[in-house]
Amino acid sequence: MADAAFLALAVITIGSAIAALEMRSLIYGSIALMGTLGGIAGFFFLLDAPFVALFQLAVYVGSIAVLILFTVMLVKRELIFKKIEDRKRKFAGIGLMLIVMVSLGAVFLDSGIKTITTDEPAVNFRDIGTDFVTYYWPALILMGLILAGSVTGALVLARREDVENDQRVS
Amino acid sequence: MSVIAPNFKLSGFIKSIIDDVVWFLLIFSLIGFPVIMMVLFFIPMPVIDGELLTPFLAFTYLADPTRTLPIVQAFMTTDMFKVMAFPGFGFAALLAAGTIFVERKMLAKLQLRVGPFYCGKVEGILQLAGDGLKLISKEIIIPAKADKPIFWAAPVLFVASAAAFVALIPVAPGWVVADVDMGLLAVFAVIGFFPIVTILSAWSANSKFPFIGGIRALFQMVSFEIPLILSLLGVVMVTGTLNLSEIAASQSSFPWIVFLPVGAIVFFITMLAELERIPFDLPEAESEIVAGWLTELSGMMYGLVQLGTYLKLYAFAALFVVLFLGGWNGPMIVPPFPMDLATEGIELGPVTAKIGGLEPILSQVITQEMLNGTLMFVLKTVGVIFFILLPRGVFPRIRIDMLLSLGWTKLIGLAFVNIFIALALVYAGVLGPGGLQ
Repeated sequence: MADAAFLALAVITIGSAIAALEMRSLIYGSIALMGTLGGIAGFFFLLDAPFVALFQLAVYVGSIAVLILFTVMLVKRELIFKKIEDRKRKFAGIGLMLIVMVSLGAVFLDSGIKTITTDEPAVNFRDIGTDFVTYYWPALILMGLILAGSVTGALVLARREDVENDQRVS
Repeated sequence: MSVIAPNFKLSGFIKSIIDDVVWFLLIFSLIGFPVIMMVLFFIPMPVIDGELLTPFLAFTYLADPTRTLPIVQAFMTTDMFKVMAFPGFGFAALLAAGTIFVERKMLAKLQLRVGPFYCGKVEGILQLAGDGLKLISKEIIIPAKADKPIFWAAPVLFVASAAAFVALIPVAPGWVVADVDMGLLAVFAVIGFFPIVTILSAWSANSKFPFIGGIRALFQMVSFEIPLILSLLGVVMVTGTLNLSEIAASQSSFPWIVFLPVGAIVFFITMLAELERIPFDLPEAESEIVAGWLTELSGMMYGLVQLGTYLKLYAFAALFVVLFLGGWNGPMIVPPFPMDLATEGIELGPVTAKIGGLEPILSQVITQEMLNGTLMFVLKTVGVIFFILLPRGVFPRIRIDMLLSLGWTKLIGLAFVNIFIALALVYAGVLGPGGLQ
């Protein structure tokens, strides 16, 4: 059962990733990207990490894919992209992909991970939280500061100087 | 002389009926019966009272209909029943249909109109069925330059997302379709699908009004998701769980709205925005952009989107009830069923009427707790739905910049205030271990 689900998810993920690259229509491409991200969420479910899987769905499919879709809809494709396609580039790309996949596969095979037992209990997200506030607290504070800094920077960038205060909504 | 059937003969009529019956029996016994047997061979049948349910046993039920009660009981405990009927789609669709009728009638009363009046003689009670029939029988018109696959798929996907949302709502103790450990996170994940479906539907129609409406819907839904998620974190902090059933069960003494009123208010306002209800109905603003992102939908496609919208409304109201109003908890007002009627039967003078199989179904499936929990849940949900409908008769629509500044500045700030209140309650020991609960 888990094997069949793994195979189906792998086909969905890789198939929609290829589709996302190869589709002529940008909208369909971004829908295929959503399929890829959803397939990765399915892998997290298979690995008994529903917490990560649901965040993958909520953040990547729910927000980032929407952002990409929205951007794509406002873009006139012909004005920005110029189609460059020749045989050399194509074969070079395929060769590069094969090299990367073979080397990654060699690393995985060499690492000794051959089987995954799927009857392990689910990862307890409370333990993750406890680890974050005890052992990894410097990392947590650093992340908090970086996020706060980026949010403040985004607000400063988005602030328009040409809008007068009385034009602003009270 | 006009006669409807001049060559009518009673004997010919009877002969034709007998002919039909004979042919039906012949074909059924030669083809239909073996086919049923072959299909039943591959379907695992339930074991009822220690006896496997075979077709031959099923035929004996014709003689004694009360023996079908164990089958009803076995069916009511299946996942299929939960998905299709009670806590799932059927129950939610019934409440959604009631919501549509009450909305029209109530708004009419608020604005001194009559509302639906003629269908069904009594206060237009059959108006909804009439509208449904009209929508089903109308032609589906697809714009010539529409992107057809996405345009066809969008209404179905919208209803599917709404149904997935409904499936996460616990109605009574143990009565929930999907009892997910991360229920609240699953709710966030499902809510994230609505803007995608909306913008895809709007884009695929290839028309200006739907596109403007779709972009407005996208802005509104995505920006209000943030205060929505933040306002619910307080409840997670005080309960220490993400499971919706456990959150509902944790409110047996008092609902969380007592301690977290700020979060409840923020969640209610974001709920109105996510549902595109007035005063936040910019995506459908009928006085500006025809019908917003619904403009090009026609016939049953429009009907599906409406069904999805009202399912979503029910699901949000139910989520509010589960998180802030105590879910199924409440005073026990449903009286216990007199069990001796089921175990000993009713004595009517010399005759004793006894229905076998009634006793287990009443003590295991339709218990007093389940009925009372469902009643409490439905009462609270109907109350919340009333408050969602009410602004439509009272408020005007607000501008989009007011909407966005409300979401990004005021509501997020209030949601953080709510989080600090929850933290203070937990750390001061009012709630949590050693506290009230």
